[in-house]
Amino acid sequence: MIDDLALPFVQRGLLEVGVLAIGAGLIGTWIVLRGLSFFAHAVGTAAFPGLVLADGLGFAAALGAFGTALLVAGIVAWLARRERDREDALTALVLVAALAVGIVLASDVFRSGANVDQLLFGSLLTIDTGDVVLAAVASAIVLVASFVLGPRWLATGFERDLSEADGRSTARTDAALLVLVALVAVASLAAVGALLATAILIVPAATTRLVVSRMRTWQLMTVGLVLVEGMAGMLLAVETNAPPGATIAVLSGGVFAVFAVGWGLRNAAPGGLAFRRKKLALGARSSGAGEL
Amino acid sequence: MTALVRCEGLAVAYPGRPPALTGVSFAAPAGVRVAVLGPNGGGKTTLFRALLGELPAAAGTLDVARCAVVPQTERSRLDFPVSALDVAVMGALSRLPWWRRPGRAERAKAAEALERVGLGDRIDHTFGDLSGGQRQRVLVARALVQDAPVLLLDEPFSGLDTASTDRLERLLADLAAEGRTLLIATHDVDQARTWDLVLCVNRHQIAYGPPAETLTLPVLEETYGASLLALPGSDGQVVCPPHHHDHGDHDHDHAH
Repeated sequence: MIDDLALPFVQRGLLEVGVLAIGAGLIGTWIVLRGLSFFAHAVGTAAFPGLVLADGLGFAAALGAFGTALLVAGIVAWLARRERDREDALTALVLVAALAVGIVLASDVFRSGANVDQLLFGSLLTIDTGDVVLAAVASAIVLVASFVLGPRWLATGFERDLSEADGRSTARTDAALLVLVALVAVASLAAVGALLATAILIVPAATTRLVVSRMRTWQLMTVGLVLVEGMAGMLLAVETNAPPGATIAVLSGGVFAVFAVGWGLRNAAPGGLAFRRKKLALGARSSGAGEL
Repeated sequence: MTALVRCEGLAVAYPGRPPALTGVSFAAPAGVRVAVLGPNGGGKTTLFRALLGELPAAAGTLDVARCAVVPQTERSRLDFPVSALDVAVMGALSRLPWWRRPGRAERAKAAEALERVGLGDRIDHTFGDLSGGQRQRVLVARALVQDAPVLLLDEPFSGLDTASTDRLERLLADLAAEGRTLLIATHDVDQARTWDLVLCVNRHQIAYGPPAETLTLPVLEETYGASLLALPGSDGQVVCPPHHHDHGDHDHDHAH
């Protein structure tokens, strides 16, 4: 393990994870809070055809990925406004279309070959300086946006009526959130690829959501969890010679399962129930006192 | 006395549809509680959205002071990771430019508003853990933070027990006494009887005036259609919204 840390590509991989954790953790809480998980997954996947195009035509990968991710984000957002009830089905349709276009481009147009794997699942072992810079820029933008616009994202999600009534800028601040989701999805491609972006964008935030009751705690815990899972997954992958992206995904999925089962047990156990009942009774009594 | 809300021949329509509400003409002065009565789908929410400026007037004129809305607590998200204070602070957002987040001044104001609605000791409680009545008062506090002279309350008493209802009633009376105009959407005719003015709507305005003049059987029948029931031995009427009907048990007064 100590030997691994001396390797430059391991150090770069860990640096990438560390820098990315801030943006991915923060945006992850907003994704989960606002119910944008499927959207985020679709946007991440949508980056795939953009990557294939950039690879085949020889322009910057990030540019291609961000281009198609934004295009798909725009299409999904536009369709969702028109067909509110069928948002999920439409997102799925666009997701499949993006994936199919990417595969066709990769296999029949550009014959990208072995590169496809890396585009879909990422590789923390081949991170270059450009990847780290992109992750740093994305994390910095998300940090600032989350600080400035966070209260509005929270208010809009809390009660749509309020925001529609009060803030004419709701549509714009929400559009900013969607663009940032696309940005972080693209920034995490190098590390975990188009298909596994969910592993650092959504799963950690969904995990910590089980145990927090305030936004700030949630965000701090999520950034920490992405960091720990990312670094542990990376080192585990190097030790076992497994693909890092997939290792991180399995690890974060496992941690989520443990949290979910533990949370379920705590609430289902006889002691847990008694505790809850006591809390309810106390709550009823104190609120009763408050009413008088 | 100057009116804080004044409508003349107002009609309101959703984009691309025929008007959902027509012929609304009323003026509400400062310091009154106005009950807005009407069946579900009768235009109460449409009227509120017009007053808030979300829907334009399709006809007529609308002259209204700044409004703040108090939504139904049943429609708020209980699983949100927010405290009572966080929710009250949200009221400050509409008056801040988009790049400014609520600061110390806004939090102090929100804490003051929570104190005002009797929740000074619950500032740090998670919103979803509060009782229905307390949540409703947090939402009133959020509206107070907006400093609006007109409050629009959407069925604030639905789902509340008697103690919470009394408590909220007293709060609304105090807020009106301070010079605010309160428009309160409700289904409870007996409650409306105790307030200052009543506005009855069912796709158009049916009546407006003091409860004694407006809460008559003909007006209520026109407001609620045939779904009205006069109970023997009571001087008031009981309104049964259509979806609460149990057709086996009652004698209906089918006026239409």
